[in-house]
Amino acid sequence: MQVYSRMKKVSLVAVTMIVLAMLVGATTVSAQDVAVGQATATVLAVLTVTAPQDLAFGNILQGVPTTIARTVAASAGIFQIAGEGAANQEVSMHMQLPDYLWNAAAGVQDRLVIAFSTTDATVDTTAGTPDVPGAGAVVGTDPHNLADIGMGGAANVIRIYLGGTVSPTPDQRAGSYSADIILTAAYTGD
Amino acid sequence: MKCKWNSFRQPAVFFIVLILFPFISLTAGVLVAPTSVILSENDRTGRLTVQNPSDSPIEVSIRFGFGIPLSDSLGNVTLRLQDTSEVNHPRSAMNWIRAFPRRVVLAPGATQVVRFVANPPKDIPDGEYWARIVVRSQDSQAQLPDAGNMESITTRLNMVMETAIVLKYRTGELMAKLGVIDTEIERSDSLVAISIDMENQGNVSYVGVLRCNLYDANDVEITTRRINIAVYDDIKRRVDLPVGISDYRQPFHVDIVIENDGRNDVPANELISGNRLEYTLTVP
Repeated sequence: MQVYSRMKKVSLVAVTMIVLAMLVGATTVSAQDVAVGQATATVLAVLTVTAPQDLAFGNILQGVPTTIARTVAASAGIFQIAGEGAANQEVSMHMQLPDYLWNAAAGVQDRLVIAFSTTDATVDTTAGTPDVPGAGAVVGTDPHNLADIGMGGAANVIRIYLGGTVSPTPDQRAGSYSADIILTAAYTGD
Repeated sequence: MKCKWNSFRQPAVFFIVLILFPFISLTAGVLVAPTSVILSENDRTGRLTVQNPSDSPIEVSIRFGFGIPLSDSLGNVTLRLQDTSEVNHPRSAMNWIRAFPRRVVLAPGATQVVRFVANPPKDIPDGEYWARIVVRSQDSQAQLPDAGNMESITTRLNMVMETAIVLKYRTGELMAKLGVIDTEIERSDSLVAISIDMENQGNVSYVGVLRCNLYDANDVEITTRRINIAVYDDIKRRVDLPVGISDYRQPFHVDIVIENDGRNDVPANELISGNRLEYTLTVP
């Protein structure tokens, strides 16, 4: 019981010190920092998938295919996977991509073709940008078949930059079209 | 005593993570922790915390699937989810796990605890049973862009995010044991590629660390690689070890270690200790 109490006190002190350190101005604290503060602590892994930026085609014209390259910083879709406490972890990623966007307005049922080529994605294990991926990024890979990859660098971040092409027909009905792009992420090492 | 320490440690560390996370750049999506949920015959309930760290409401839904890490002939590992109730893997638990709630809209900064309960069939064999908790999140206020005048075509692609968390149900006598069937080594100018065929010989998933250290003839370390692994069924794992430009003396050799130790991301009371494998191979 004494040992438990001592460990509890040590842990509480460590937690307090970390929180205080943050309050006095630390802006970024990594999982490794926590591990240093508590040599025996288990840093529970956290997995977060976010979408900092939508793949945006803007307004398009009937009969004019529109392509957004994966390298266009302002319009390429961006997914980000972050793993706190995820050093040495690899992530399996699976992307479900639509074949069409749908216009489901009242009284209307129309579809707009969208396609993703085998080079429409970049997987970046640093905090790069679509136009300037980090060193070691897998550039121009197939978004339908993303390979598993390790969490990158100290930040434990994976970013996916996605481009694509919409092909409206000459008689494409005007209106708003939408579809889902789904990214599923899982650790392969639990 | 150890259990008490662990029971205190988990919430404490999770608390730290929750505090730290706002300092990480995020614009949407949810934070999910922990990344594995363990249930057992003694405690058939578990919990998962979902937090919305963004500044807009997020719609979150929970469903179950089945998926374990599998490999291709080259040793590349993938995890593909099966969503249907027709999964016939003998270790699948997806048909007898329930979640509450299954759908929720999280306000900015809000946290929701999702609870799980297992209702396994009677007299199932000892060991571990698996499912994946799929947490789907998307912007709850997504609106179609206004087409403006009648001649415009506008588009919106909803970026939907899914996180697949492992759920394990344990019952009876548990044994973690891993076997290595074969190891292949290939050498090119700049790379030593190792493929390790592993076989799960226990009745639980083998969760551990694979370490490969590449040395030259003078025992100078050239490269080291460490990967967290989880072996559910048989799996082939490829590890690439880059050879830098230096005056290394041949022949090279690789020390390979597979063990449970070193998984600091898994609470000790959730890790089933298994065997340790250690061997050395000469690079041809």
